[in-house]
Amino acid sequence: MNPGLDLRPILPALILTVTGLVVLLAQAFTPKGKRAPAVPISLFGLAAAAIAVYLLAPVSQEGSSAVLGGTLVADAYALFLEALIVGIGFVGVLLSSSYLRETGEERGEYYTLTLFSLVGMLGLVSATELIALFVALEIMSVALYALTGFDRRRPESQEAALKYFVTGAFSSAFFLYGVAFLYGVSGSTSLDRIAQALASPDAGSRGMAVLGVGLLLVGFGFKVASVPFHMWAPDVYEGAPTTVTGFMAAGVKAAAFGALMRVLGTALPALADHWQPAIAVLALLTMVIGNLGALAQSNVKRMLAYSSVAHAGYLLTAAVAAPRLAASAILFYLVGYAAVNLGGFGAMAALTRDGREPLSLGDMAGLASRRPALAAALTVFLISLAGVPVSAGFVGKFYLFAAAVNAGYTGLAVVGVLMSVVSAYYYLRVVMAMYMREPVGDDNWAPVAAESRLALAFSVAIVLGLGVFPGAVLTLARRAAESLL
Amino acid sequence: MTTPASILSLLILLPVAGAIVVALTPRQNVGVQKLVGLGLTTALFLLSLLLVRDFKPIAGMQFEVNHPWIPDYGIAYKLGIDGISLWLILLTTFLTPLALLGSWDSIHDRVREFVVFMLLLEAGMLGVFCALDLFLFYIFWEAMLIPMYFLIGIWGHERRIYAAVKFFLYTMAGSTLMLVAFLVLYRESGLHTFDLLKLAERPIDIGLQTWLFLAFALAFAIKVPMWPFHTWLPDAHVEAPTAGSVILAGVLLKMGGYGFLRLAIPLFPSAAQRFAPAIGLLAVIGIIYGALVSLVQPDMKKLVAYSSVSHLGFVMLGIASFTSTAVVGSVYQMLNHGISTGALFFMVGMLYDRRHTRLIADFGGIKSVMPWFSALFLLVCLSSIAVPGFNGFVGEFLILVGSWGLDWRLVVAASLGVILSAAYILWMVQRVLYGEVTHEENRSLPDLSLREAVILVPLVALALFMGVASPAFTRKIEPSVDALISQVRGHTEPFPTEVRPEALQAPRAATTPGEAAR
Repeated sequence: MNPGLDLRPILPALILTVTGLVVLLAQAFTPKGKRAPAVPISLFGLAAAAIAVYLLAPVSQEGSSAVLGGTLVADAYALFLEALIVGIGFVGVLLSSSYLRETGEERGEYYTLTLFSLVGMLGLVSATELIALFVALEIMSVALYALTGFDRRRPESQEAALKYFVTGAFSSAFFLYGVAFLYGVSGSTSLDRIAQALASPDAGSRGMAVLGVGLLLVGFGFKVASVPFHMWAPDVYEGAPTTVTGFMAAGVKAAAFGALMRVLGTALPALADHWQPAIAVLALLTMVIGNLGALAQSNVKRMLAYSSVAHAGYLLTAAVAAPRLAASAILFYLVGYAAVNLGGFGAMAALTRDGREPLSLGDMAGLASRRPALAAALTVFLISLAGVPVSAGFVGKFYLFAAAVNAGYTGLAVVGVLMSVVSAYYYLRVVMAMYMREPVGDDNWAPVAAESRLALAFSVAIVLGLGVFPGAVLTLARRAAESLL
Repeated sequence: MTTPASILSLLILLPVAGAIVVALTPRQNVGVQKLVGLGLTTALFLLSLLLVRDFKPIAGMQFEVNHPWIPDYGIAYKLGIDGISLWLILLTTFLTPLALLGSWDSIHDRVREFVVFMLLLEAGMLGVFCALDLFLFYIFWEAMLIPMYFLIGIWGHERRIYAAVKFFLYTMAGSTLMLVAFLVLYRESGLHTFDLLKLAERPIDIGLQTWLFLAFALAFAIKVPMWPFHTWLPDAHVEAPTAGSVILAGVLLKMGGYGFLRLAIPLFPSAAQRFAPAIGLLAVIGIIYGALVSLVQPDMKKLVAYSSVSHLGFVMLGIASFTSTAVVGSVYQMLNHGISTGALFFMVGMLYDRRHTRLIADFGGIKSVMPWFSALFLLVCLSSIAVPGFNGFVGEFLILVGSWGLDWRLVVAASLGVILSAAYILWMVQRVLYGEVTHEENRSLPDLSLREAVILVPLVALALFMGVASPAFTRKIEPSVDALISQVRGHTEPFPTEVRPEALQAPRAATTPGEAAR
């Protein structure tokens, strides 16, 4: 094969793009009133993409896995995250079908948009060049804006989409501005060349580079919903269709943190003295404000939105130690976090009937006697979010804080664990409602659909499995992190 | 035939497996679920007896299991027991089936979940006592909170939700700082391991020891609980269902003292000795405070709960003294407290099952209505106030004698606590058992059922046996405690208070067979 045209490294993204188009066409050729087989097609495509990621594993060892002029790469780091993202897509699709049916939004475009945003995420984690990174960010984001507003009949959904779009565009501008500064300093947008240029800078351009890094951090800060760039998150998470919220919480965090760690680790190690304190401050603010914000919420979806802000803070805590110590911890955490969020939002989505979702603690009351298995699954997710063993959340937090402590940021770890205690209070409130309160009113919730059951069981298995046997995934994460260096 | 080392793994994994099996049974199969729970926990007790049979009275860990678990961080699945943990494991396996049997008729709602949580709780407790890897220890330590949270929150009394949340948050708040301390210790030691024994061999710099010790001490002081960290205890103990109270008082409270002995003191010997006077002082404040508060409780369950604060104060006083005698006494006192307070909670629960009240004022003259119950109640109370001939006496005596060197004033004050405990317990006995039957409802209370007798008789028998045959137990505790004390003294920065030779001598004599009991 012509070495210049070796597209194998982006095969997963290509497969998903084609799948998205096929879903769209299938929808177009389906007679009115009938439904296109969007779910099976999507699942088939995702399975193919997963196989492609698996087959690429040897390619990543070859060293020259970069493609398209060195803008995208399929190294071990990218493949780890790609596997995670494809997995998120798979579970997300499984959870969506019954929810869409119950909310009357069962249209194929949903799956197309999901697949396209997945393509963006895959690009984000494999981009080694800032323009490609930006394009991937936009592919992901634009699809997500549309998904957020997918529930046309609910004004909240519309409002969320608009808010997300406006703040998202705003943050993209920051990001792009940062890219411009870095380009100005180094004369390149390639991460490697930026690193080379920054390794021996003169004093004047160093200031410009720091400014550029700051702007990049603002852009990333918006995407991962870190304080003070988190304002959009509660409204968007609450307004978006629940399955989209879960997909977004899991996928965007994985992709954005994946990209952030690559940028920090590959391009900007020379400026570590500048961005480490900045990230430390962001982490501190994010943990404290995210958790305190969640404490005040009575709407479970909104509470989980703030909790997702808080978790961005935990992840940032480790990011100060980037990349040598932190990358593997962050990769591990993202896996558990994805399972927990897909599961948590998925459990709420699975109960949705005729457009009515369990949102308040009152809705959750007595759920343990009506849906014992689902309540047990949700309890596992919440316990993992609180970081209590035996769960992926505990082991993940352990690694994150270990990275911070090893980098000398013991104070951040102390704040992190204390905030975990605060978080236990609001997570346990949901558990309490499910197990310790009597059910209110009639049981109007939907019976859990088979595909949702499968997805939830899978998530529970991941959360508990990683809690007991973290070794294998941690080793993979470490190898992936090593490929960054 | 000797017992294979894997017995410890079996003790931890069997209840987990049992919990999974019970969780998969249909909801209405209540009888099967109860039987599986009781059968399994009884089997675990029998299994743990093998440990006693094959435990050699020597220092060092026995029945060790060591498998690498997360090699990237030097974390291992490492188990092992010594003389300090041996009897606590026995206490756990002994009380759990009794607790299940005690709830046989009082738990009607969601029996399946109840059995599942009891089994998981037992696995967690046994794990804590067996773990020799800090990470593993922490997993069990925290995981244990969840079943107890549910036990209190689902099957507890009126204010159960408040109590459950308070219990969970208090304990978690204490232990998370310990987690950070683990990480700092890992970084500072440079040994690339979480192996407790290896870390204890090379204590770190004294300045850092102080901070890390404080983090550990907070976690354990909350769990003990030491005054002023005790405020979760009355709520949790009073609101929990009987089985929950029994396990809380019987086993969970021991984890604080155990944590000090197993982790905080060996890892930070210098800092531990530096803080010994402070711990001793807090312990004695707890003894007096708990006793005084017990004295004025109108509610029996609350009285017993506060009495735990007082009794655990003795345990901490003994630990703070750093003499073999007192520490052996502390370990022994932990067992005594588990048995006598466990029994008291059972009996308060039995009264509650009959009358649905726990107020002392609602009883009186019970002796003539329930003679068997009253006889056992009196015996348990005598054990609790450490009357010679009962187990409590041995423990308290060893602690008081051994602690003299720490500060004689503390010992004098603690002795006052002994008198106070006799006062509040006997006053309760008088008001509940003796006098005229003042409430008509009390005239027709049935005496102990067979099931209740099966629960209480072993507890009372054990209390008496441990009172007269203490050497059978202390013989296996002593070598481990001696090793601990000499290890601590080996790493010593100047010991804070002068140790008088006679204080060290006297205890030796007291620990010889039976003498203490007589």
